[in-house]
Amino acid sequence: MKKPVVHITNFNLKFQDKSVLKDLCWTINIGENWLLSGESGNGKTSLVKAIANLIPHYGTVKINFNTPSHLPAVVHYVSNWYQFKDLEGQSNFYYQQRYNKQVASTTNSVGSELRHFGQQNHLNIDTLNPILVALGFEHLLAATLIELSSGEHKKLQLIKAIWLKPQLLILDLPYNGLDSASRRNLNLLLDDLVEDGTQLILISNESEMPSSINRFAKIEGGKLVETAEMQHSINLYTEALIPLPSFFEEKQWPASKSHLIKMIDVNVSYGDKKVLKNINWEVKPGEKWALQGPNGSGKSTLLSLICADHPQAFANNFYLFGNLRGSGESIWEIKERIGLISPELHWYFDPTATVWQSIVSGFYDSSGLFCDPGYTKRLQADELIHFFGLDDYKNTLMNQLPLGKQRLALLGRTIIKNPELLILDEPCQGLDQQQTIHFNKLIDELCKNGTTLIYVGHFESQLPDCIEKRIVLENGEVQVIEDILEAVSHT
Amino acid sequence: MANYFNTLPLREKLNQLGVCDFMDSSEFLDGVNALKGKKLVIVGCGAQGLNQGLNLRDSGLDVSYTLRAAAIESKRDSWKNATENNFKVGTYEELIPTADVVINLTPDKQHTAVVSAIMPLMKEGATLSYSHGFNIVEEGTQIRKDLTVIMVAPKCPGSEVRAEYVRGFGVPTLIAVHPENDPQGKGLAQAKAYCVGTGGHKAGVLKSSFVAEVKSDLMGEQTILCGLLQTGSILSFDKMVEKGINAGYASKLVQYGVEVITEALKQGGITAMMDRLSNVAKIKAFEISEELKDIMRPLFQKHQDDIMSGEFSRIMMEDWANGDKNLLAWRAETGETAFEKTPAGDVKIGEQEYFDNYTLMVAFVRAGVELAFETMVDAGIKPESAYYESLHETPLIANTIARKKLFEMNRVISDTAEYGCYLFDQACKPLLSDFMKKVDTDLVGKNFNEGKDGAVDNRTLIEVNEAIRSHQVEQIGATLRKAMTAMKAIKTA
Repeated sequence: MKKPVVHITNFNLKFQDKSVLKDLCWTINIGENWLLSGESGNGKTSLVKAIANLIPHYGTVKINFNTPSHLPAVVHYVSNWYQFKDLEGQSNFYYQQRYNKQVASTTNSVGSELRHFGQQNHLNIDTLNPILVALGFEHLLAATLIELSSGEHKKLQLIKAIWLKPQLLILDLPYNGLDSASRRNLNLLLDDLVEDGTQLILISNESEMPSSINRFAKIEGGKLVETAEMQHSINLYTEALIPLPSFFEEKQWPASKSHLIKMIDVNVSYGDKKVLKNINWEVKPGEKWALQGPNGSGKSTLLSLICADHPQAFANNFYLFGNLRGSGESIWEIKERIGLISPELHWYFDPTATVWQSIVSGFYDSSGLFCDPGYTKRLQADELIHFFGLDDYKNTLMNQLPLGKQRLALLGRTIIKNPELLILDEPCQGLDQQQTIHFNKLIDELCKNGTTLIYVGHFESQLPDCIEKRIVLENGEVQVIEDILEAVSHT
Repeated sequence: MANYFNTLPLREKLNQLGVCDFMDSSEFLDGVNALKGKKLVIVGCGAQGLNQGLNLRDSGLDVSYTLRAAAIESKRDSWKNATENNFKVGTYEELIPTADVVINLTPDKQHTAVVSAIMPLMKEGATLSYSHGFNIVEEGTQIRKDLTVIMVAPKCPGSEVRAEYVRGFGVPTLIAVHPENDPQGKGLAQAKAYCVGTGGHKAGVLKSSFVAEVKSDLMGEQTILCGLLQTGSILSFDKMVEKGINAGYASKLVQYGVEVITEALKQGGITAMMDRLSNVAKIKAFEISEELKDIMRPLFQKHQDDIMSGEFSRIMMEDWANGDKNLLAWRAETGETAFEKTPAGDVKIGEQEYFDNYTLMVAFVRAGVELAFETMVDAGIKPESAYYESLHETPLIANTIARKKLFEMNRVISDTAEYGCYLFDQACKPLLSDFMKKVDTDLVGKNFNEGKDGAVDNRTLIEVNEAIRSHQVEQIGATLRKAMTAMKAIKTA
């Protein structure tokens, strides 16, 4: 019998004196493609990083590429996180940077980044194009890295991996930020790779997956447990929400106006490229909206106008909280009234802030904490940290935590000031299904007393119940504006 | 035009040199009100111009840009920067007469031309803002008496000014009001509002004067910031190659070493930098830096003297008039050094290794920072100013060397700094030739601790620690760093 491709014995991992993985064993044989799922923070990422030899670990991890194959004999790991540097080798970026235009480009272009990757790995440039087309990326070759959205960065990582076609490919939450068409195409591309001899290890909690996945596992009690299929999804339960901290009941918003947001023929363009075209949209106080549309349809740009992160707000006719934008208000006066989370905000957030600092920074809308919040705010932060079950991580640096925990901390940051407008752009990326359900229930609860909500999510099934209206964008234009409840009753 | 400083009586010279207050955050409670509703027109839209303008507009102020007609017609980068961010752009004739505040953010060298073009167009009682005082102090430009003249100078590159603002913070900023031009007494209020508009008030604001800013800024950039980093880098690289160290390794050690070493300086001053060394290495670095200080003191003093007397700016302006003959020749020479031409090797150098294998640079930095600081304070500059222009800025300049070596450093800094840097470098290298003959690879290129048992004499160590810690730059630094609450650590190695 041939040696297994991956053979792990007695693998151990600790996080802050707590044993996460304990004497774990795992054998991956030729022809097997595994799906690893389960709650966030249980050691999945560390385990696969060890397979890719990216982190020091206790235990044996043996890799055998013993079959004759024309594919490169490497393990390639596609991280759940992306990083890039500017032309000077630094990565000191801020999430609004792609909206601020500066002629001198600070980062590489996508095209030259890919060419460099191809040269490094001796890849044939002709094999790249079909992958670009499948993921709708051809038009981005001239874009610079800083201009890409988080979904586009995710695609760039995947394009490199698929182009490389390694013998063992590990994908950690590859669907984050991808729209449904891209997810489908990614799965087809992965099936093609498997056909050619690549083996997959996939970390995901989604129900869609490549059809070539033929083994399933989860981590339980620090050990790998093989399951018949994605078993965890059957076990979902509705956990009762523990009571919200009492400070959420003390709302002090100004008297309601006829509209919180009113956009009149709003346009955003870069050179000849139109990103938003004649958007007309009105959001009244207390309304709960879903904002939808495929990758690149203009959702993030639309939200960046509302969050005072986009300079072209000054060239448009739109009202925020009753005031014409650009009539002498500061962006901090606007941000004060908004609780924002988005993939970009997370990606560019100060990774060296502690969980506590990150959550408290929500009072000031800053990335990192720059002042002492005082007694009352400290108490509120502690209550919220307890509510999110983050007590043990209060003083842990963000970059020491798994993605799901980081995301919880930033969700705490988003709601801590109990803002009048919540903008949640894919808030549940990186959370497991159980956490997603729980978070959406929390949003339902928070929004009971008149909070206005704009929620971006690619899946209907992952929206909070309170959503009552929907705006759909496509190619920068409003495709649909509708009342969901009505739409349902009509069918 | 006469050098402004030289026209002053001694009393007034001392008076203006000695202005330096670290402002309390309570001074900024009025926010941007002093500029609210006023028309701010920025001249120039490079990195400082664009990023300051974005911040000011985001703070609720009315900002537009004025560029030379030629720049608008040919749609230069400055025009694109402004229009693509939806700013109004117009010629001097169109926008200057409407401006309540004209913010001059063009390069130093253009100041005379720019100011003489815009001054006649400015409306009665308006304000003219600078970010550097060279034009007023050294060139002696006289501004119309009805105009208010202020200075607001963020002590960071333009990209940082923007990045820190949107993060909810800011960068340390220096402000000043020109005593000859404050007819309505509104200068300080406007300068403070400007600081709030760019976020500087959150990171620490130093109230200075045009004179103190120029005389300390010139001194700092010529000696420790650019001059000594250049000389030290080139000498270190050449020494390693001479002694048979791999050139790629040497290049990498020198290119990134200053950044790693001065990151410790930024976080905790000379004390923290020296504490990164082992005890034996620290004592050695202390001894040779004392020696370096003795060798270089006369050169530092000459630079300070020439800056104070106006001699430096006189010869530099002569070179300007001469088509930058010296500047260009020296720039070309720097581009040709072996260090510049040897790419950093593909070797991994650990963070601690930069200290252990580059003890010589630690000594250079201590000697240079202390000497520059001492020389400035001896010349009548306040310790707070001297701290900013020596220790505080050294890591910022070191970052530019890490990016693309000395050529990049000289490209990023102003022409004035570059000219002064070459002047220093030309004089300093011969001065150090005897010293460098004694230097071996234990100080640069190899681990100083190798083959040593690490034992030190307790009393020597105590004396050395005491001397480092009790220096005035350490004491003032501790106070000022505490005020700049949240300095972001730059990722190194």
